[in-house]
Amino acid sequence: MGRVTPRILGLLAALALALVLAACGGSDDDAAAPPDRPDPATGPPIRIGAKNFTEQTILGELYRQALEAEGFEVVLKSDVGSTEIIHRALKRGALDMYPEYVGVLLSEVAEVRSRPRRPAASYEVAKRYEKRGGFTLLAQTPFSDSNALGVKPAFARRHGLRTIADLRRLKGTVKIGALAEFRTRYEGLVGLREVYGLRNLRVSSLDSDERYAALEQGDVEVASVFTTEGQLAGEDYVVLADPRGLFASGHVAPIISDRILRVHGTRLQTAIDAVSKMLTTSAMREMNAAVDLRKRRPADIAREFLKAKKLL
Amino acid sequence: MLHRSLRTQITTKVVALSAASAILLGVVLVTLIVAVMGQRDAAQVAFRSQQALGLANTLEKSLLSIESGLNRYVTTRESRYLGAVTSELAEYPPATRELARLVSDDAGQQARVAELSEAIRDYDEFWVKSLIEIVSEDGFEVARSQVETNGGRARLDRVRGQFETLFERERAVIRAREDAAERGSERAIGLGVGGLALTIAIALGFTLYLRRSVLRPVRTVAEATGRLAAGDLSTRVPADREDELGELARGFNSMADSLERGREQLEHSNAELTRSNAELEQFASVTSHDLQAPLTTISMYAELLERRRGEQAVGDVDLVDGIRGATQQARALIRDLLEYSRAGRGNLNVEDVPAGHIVNQALEALAGTIEESGAQVDVGELPVVRADRANLCRVFQNLIGNAVKFTGEDTPRVSIEAERDDDHWRFSVRDNGIGMKPDHARRIFEPFQRLHGEEDYPGTGIGLAICERIIDQLGGRIWVSSRPGEGSVFSFILPAASPACAEPPRVGAKA
Repeated sequence: MGRVTPRILGLLAALALALVLAACGGSDDDAAAPPDRPDPATGPPIRIGAKNFTEQTILGELYRQALEAEGFEVVLKSDVGSTEIIHRALKRGALDMYPEYVGVLLSEVAEVRSRPRRPAASYEVAKRYEKRGGFTLLAQTPFSDSNALGVKPAFARRHGLRTIADLRRLKGTVKIGALAEFRTRYEGLVGLREVYGLRNLRVSSLDSDERYAALEQGDVEVASVFTTEGQLAGEDYVVLADPRGLFASGHVAPIISDRILRVHGTRLQTAIDAVSKMLTTSAMREMNAAVDLRKRRPADIAREFLKAKKLL
Repeated sequence: MLHRSLRTQITTKVVALSAASAILLGVVLVTLIVAVMGQRDAAQVAFRSQQALGLANTLEKSLLSIESGLNRYVTTRESRYLGAVTSELAEYPPATRELARLVSDDAGQQARVAELSEAIRDYDEFWVKSLIEIVSEDGFEVARSQVETNGGRARLDRVRGQFETLFERERAVIRAREDAAERGSERAIGLGVGGLALTIAIALGFTLYLRRSVLRPVRTVAEATGRLAAGDLSTRVPADREDELGELARGFNSMADSLERGREQLEHSNAELTRSNAELEQFASVTSHDLQAPLTTISMYAELLERRRGEQAVGDVDLVDGIRGATQQARALIRDLLEYSRAGRGNLNVEDVPAGHIVNQALEALAGTIEESGAQVDVGELPVVRADRANLCRVFQNLIGNAVKFTGEDTPRVSIEAERDDDHWRFSVRDNGIGMKPDHARRIFEPFQRLHGEEDYPGTGIGLAICERIIDQLGGRIWVSSRPGEGSVFSFILPAASPACAEPPRVGAKA
């Protein structure tokens, strides 16, 4: 016992010394560290969300892989849900960022029904709206994925359909295959009634990947489509013109919380913008087609694209 | 020597075999213990897996009820459904932590539980909370259209898929562990049975070895010992082994050798003794017989001399008396010596003899002496015994004669009795005479041994020696018990008569 006690005392003394030194060193480090620019790898992970269809899944993968290549830690939540769902999750702080369509953002979130004609103006309105909520709308993509209505060419010919307004001429009920939220959206059934006065439409709620099949099988006459969808690349479908501008431009802009931008600094914004500006309509449609038609994996498609653009 | 003993000794073999059996049994025991512990661990793990399965199942069901509660809330607009949803969701974090604890020994399952927890969190965060916010901000209609997108259902289906994977994997883990435990226990049982069989085989081999190599040689030696004890001193056993039994056999053989040599020497000495004894007896007999004649002659001449010289020489008479007295004494001695040498010798006519008649004959022969001493002799009922008449009569004469002779102040009383003692009769001649010290009891049976001087009690001291010799020849035994002044009891035993005349009429006598 008498031999052990001095050893324990020695250990305690060493421990106390170490604690004192660590305390002094700690305060020095705090003083030296930049308050708003921690190392990307050591900052909080960036939680990216994506909505519940192919294009969004690809966009999510693109941003995730590009940011990870830059050394950021990323958590990607794909298939979060519709704008109504995902924007609320963003606001609640469950996500840090997600890519949104400027038009949809204005009509469904900001509830701006009389939208500017020019995409740049729409973007500015949307950006100001988000700024008020503590979010930043980053640079929008070159591509625009708007809502649109698509029909089979034969159907269009038979009824002489060119624009959305022509649908009024159809006798009886016209079945539109669309995502469920179409029924309550302005850029959906609501706008079609208000802007085009269409009363003979009935919405058939479908999953994103069921719409074209339903159109092919004749279950629906019209389908709610997105203009960058791969299926529209060929001559298989006719997109009805929107002369009254119901469907706003569909440029995509990532919405990101100011908090995470502050934490990670401009490097994060630069990395995201670098991806966004590469996304042309043809590139997006090609990637959508690869996933929807050729059944490639979104992650692989995103990686290939980023590599081709030297972003990986 | 040490080397040899290590190589060959039975002890070494016994110790080695016992040690091998003990080690084998120990190994078997340890194996079985390990198997049992393995089974116990497997049972504990299986129990935990079952708990995990049960908990996961409950969680999955509750998730379904949350989703349907949420749908009902949106459809019916009744807030009670919302309360149930939020309270059920609140239970998830602790429940998933418990699930993670239950599957903590499988890294894959832990990862799955972590993914599951995240998926449930996402369901809550992205679906439930958002939907509730939509209700409060945009109204039930918008919320309903969101429900119709099946966003929650799809998310839930994915979670359920994850649950399913978890279940399958956990069941596979259980199966794999059960299989492993079963294989382990089968292996252990196999090892145990094999080990036991080996131990039994060793024990059997050991028994056979003991029988063949130890018990059989020992039995051989034991049988030889029996033959040796029965008198066959030529018995020998094989002694070619190198071990302890070889030593035993060699020891036995050398013992038999030495016994045989001893017996030969003994027989030789015995023959020598018999021969010298016979010569001695012949010498005594011849000498005492031949000495009688000159003594008789001397005695006659002394009488003649006494008659012829008459009263002339009074002084000479004393001389002649001296010669005659000494001569008579020498004759008596020689007579007794002759009688002793003849006693119990020659052709004994052993037959069933009524002891009462013999005692009466003896009393008749002693009638003068008895009358002179005034002794009272009582004779009890006496049986028939196996004896020689003349010799038995001589014994009684000597014993009764002594009883009457060695008397004190009191009137001599003598009683003669017999008692049955198994297949013998014990006779006793009791007197109230002077008795003797107990340590003289043996000495008085030796020839010419006297306890008293010739002048006190006449006699040569040969009587009791003759008695002992006769009783000995008749297959009996004689002894005395006495104390000084308290009289003596002379007892002897003789074989009872043959059964044909077992109990003839007893003859009593009284003098």
